[in-house]
Amino acid sequence: MNSMKKQDNNRIDKIGNELPFSVPENYFENFAQQIENQIGYKSINHRFLKPWMYIAAMFVGVILVGQLFFSVYQKNSVNNNENYESYVLSQVDETALMDYYVDESTK
Amino acid sequence: MNLTDKELQIQLNKPDQKAKAFSAVVRAYQERLYWHIRKMVLSHDDANDVLQNCFMKAWNGIDGFRGDSQISTWLYRIATNETLTFLANKKLRNLQSMDDVEDNLLQNLQSDHYFNGNEIQLKLQKAIITLPEKQRLVFNMKYFDDITYEKMEAILGTSVGALKASYHHAVKKIEKFFEENE
Repeated sequence: MNSMKKQDNNRIDKIGNELPFSVPENYFENFAQQIENQIGYKSINHRFLKPWMYIAAMFVGVILVGQLFFSVYQKNSVNNNENYESYVLSQVDETALMDYYVDESTK
Repeated sequence: MNLTDKELQIQLNKPDQKAKAFSAVVRAYQERLYWHIRKMVLSHDDANDVLQNCFMKAWNGIDGFRGDSQISTWLYRIATNETLTFLANKKLRNLQSMDDVEDNLLQNLQSDHYFNGNEIQLKLQKAIITLPEKQRLVFNMKYFDDITYEKMEAILGTSVGALKASYHHAVKKIEKFFEENE
């Protein structure tokens, strides 16, 4: 029996066992839904589930990226404010600065 | 819904879960059963009809399914019987001999929109169709699906020894067909 099996496999295998048939597009999804209709069962429409998942994922992505940009913007704003303050202070000499604070405290 | 056979069977026996569980069965097995049928009837339209009959028969017979075999075995048995019945009815409807039915199947195959095989594959299909129906089943299940002989025994109700011999003879006939039609 084993030698019979080996012989069979050697000869036939050369032809290959790929099926030369195809089916219409979305056939199996449509078929399953057809049977479900016949037995009175309403399932989630798998065909439309995937596009909705992509849309939802897109929105989540937009929100996350938006949050990222906003936090970077805020950080930059703080840095800019600090830089501006440093710049202004650098334009004023120490004596003038001290005079200013003294005048302010005596008001 | 990835459930084991046992879980599916429990669900199938509950009236409020039956339809949902059967939907899971359809989605899990429709492709395998379709190709099993298609290899015998060759035409997509005929395979579609037989597959529908198969699942409606299964749905109507669910209450009688006691789990003494696997769900796949049970479904394959129904699909096989529906296929053989379809071919027998085709012969009766057209009052043709089986040879004429086979000729028709072949002619339809070559002009079928959903056949995309090359010359060798077409020749192989021509060779397979010359086999008696049950031998054709055995050959298809072994050669294309590599179903074990033990599983085939459960589906077809034929002993492993007889199945092995049937397959061996089928191969020989196909080789002879190729030699004679080179």
